[in-house]
Amino acid sequence: MFTQQLINGLALGAVYALIALGYTMVYGILQLINFAHGEIYMLGAYLGIIVLGVLTTLGFTAYSLPLSLLLTLIISMLFCAAYGAVIERVAYRPLRNASKLAPLISAVGMSIILQNFVMLAQGKEYKNLPPMLPSQGVVIFGANVSPVQIFILTASVLIMVGLQFFVARTRLGKAMRATSQDRVMAGLVGININQVISITFMIGSSLAAVAGVMVTLYYGVVHFFMGYMAGIKAFTAAVLGGIGSIPGAMLGGFMLGLIENFGASYISSVYKDAFAFVVLIITLIIRPAGLLGQKSADKV
Amino acid sequence: MKRFMYIVSTLFILMAGCTRQDENVIRIGAAGPMTGDQSKMGVDLRNAVELAVAEWNEKGGVMGKKIVLLPADDQADPKQAVSIANKLINQKAVALVGHWNSSCSIPASKYYQDANIIMISPATTNPQLTLQGFKNIFRVCGTDDQQGKVAAEFVLKTIRPKKIAIIHDKTAYGQGLADYFKRALGDRVQIVYYGGIIQRDPDYKAVLTTIKQSNPELYFFGGIYPEAGRLVRQAKEIGMNIPMITGDGVYDPTFINIAGTSAEGTYLTFGAEPAGLPSAKSFMDKYKAKYGDPGPYSIYAYDAANIILTAIAETRNTDGSNMADYISKTVFHGAFGDISFDKNGDVTKAPYVIWQVKGGKFVEIK
Repeated sequence: MFTQQLINGLALGAVYALIALGYTMVYGILQLINFAHGEIYMLGAYLGIIVLGVLTTLGFTAYSLPLSLLLTLIISMLFCAAYGAVIERVAYRPLRNASKLAPLISAVGMSIILQNFVMLAQGKEYKNLPPMLPSQGVVIFGANVSPVQIFILTASVLIMVGLQFFVARTRLGKAMRATSQDRVMAGLVGININQVISITFMIGSSLAAVAGVMVTLYYGVVHFFMGYMAGIKAFTAAVLGGIGSIPGAMLGGFMLGLIENFGASYISSVYKDAFAFVVLIITLIIRPAGLLGQKSADKV
Repeated sequence: MKRFMYIVSTLFILMAGCTRQDENVIRIGAAGPMTGDQSKMGVDLRNAVELAVAEWNEKGGVMGKKIVLLPADDQADPKQAVSIANKLINQKAVALVGHWNSSCSIPASKYYQDANIIMISPATTNPQLTLQGFKNIFRVCGTDDQQGKVAAEFVLKTIRPKKIAIIHDKTAYGQGLADYFKRALGDRVQIVYYGGIIQRDPDYKAVLTTIKQSNPELYFFGGIYPEAGRLVRQAKEIGMNIPMITGDGVYDPTFINIAGTSAEGTYLTFGAEPAGLPSAKSFMDKYKAKYGDPGPYSIYAYDAANIILTAIAETRNTDGSNMADYISKTVFHGAFGDISFDKNGDVTKAPYVIWQVKGGKFVEIK
């Protein structure tokens, strides 16, 4: 039972971690909490169900399921990246030099617009996807690990390793880190700030899209309001790990998934949602910078 | 200032015009969850009432007046239910069919009683609704204590498990049903788990894993189809191969859509199949032609609407307590068979039978 809960928690945590990465990257670069980020995840989930639905009708999933899943992921990531870039351009860039509250309110507005857009375009009902992968999985140490869980865990770990490599080793990653340290100074040494910020939004959004597609496969239901709770939980994960820190968001996500699962099984399933917020409050009181976060006071 | 006064007085005249014009109609409400994850139930309910109203209007309405339907969306939310109850009262509805959820019907019923409006719920099964001593409140479906008893008898006689787990969704309906089931079981079987889950939460693996640990042979769920679908699906994913038994709130094809093959073997309690009844044929045909397949509670909502309209036509009165007297004393010949009410406002006979999901369909177990 312990291993089963561990696997359940890690799979849930991987989803939180992927969404939390988007929060933390945007915060790192703009000091902005992008409240529309949960909605991008919701869009990703909807795209997952739509693309998989189309592929099933075309008979492509019967031909090759792994290839269809890959195609779904890519299409969903591209769409969400475009959404992320447009949101940044429309809602945040014009307010970049305004007071910090203005883009925050703009983010909340964007979130409401996206929710209502999806509600009007796709309907208010739950959309469901019949199980695509078999429910019987492999047994590891007495825990039944379903194929979807294996897919979620491997894909998210690969993506996180890739992201870490991208930020630490590539030229663009370096530009990103420079921009997050000091935007004006980075601009002065010849970094195209607008481009870097756009790319940050696109990467964050495509990670949320991956999370959305995974959740669609995992639970089989999507709803226009699903981004709200997931967004808040991922935000909690980002704060827990230290907002602005990429490894922090990953750690925070996995920890939150585990805390929720163990809390629900050993304490009470009724209070499952409450555990996330108890964690948020405790983190803010005891260690406001988060587990891996640095104090931001030295940023001048 | 002068222009302002003109505008205000014009508005008043327009408003006065509206109310006067509307005196010649009779307004019937149809309340249920029309949006949100249980929206199919509310829409099924509204369609059935709409059909009944259209039939009566074709025949010339009641008391020479046209009937107007007022659909109202409670979003399956008790707070919203109270607010739309007040809205229906202000819109001068004389009666309503609804609400769907027990957690909405019970708080809203007080307002309808106080406003002397007739309320007939087609689907609220929590016994509490009609135990409040409200004369104007009726239901045309069975109750959860009857349903829990039928489920418990079936489990003890047919499945004969040693251990059972019970989960509910913390709502008046779900928890109520789970409690009646538990009470009907008594101490004849060991209950290894009893607890709630959060509605709308996507992930129930934690609680299912805890249940799996204690090795029950069966688990009961008191709740509605979106949660039930996710539960059976996730139970199979963690390798829990025991059947679920649940109540009427899960009787909907959406349950099987969400769960896929994991739904196979699930037992549930629900009324007998209406499709075979000769009295239901005309309703089924008309509903299908207009809206597609009827929902599980459409026929109940249709009967409820007809009872209200018959009561108005027969008493030639829209006063709530007059109608309540008439309804409680009369035997109605509905699409679902003869309906009469006991002193509480419950139907005198409530036939629950056991159904099972077989081959992607609900099949009645004889």
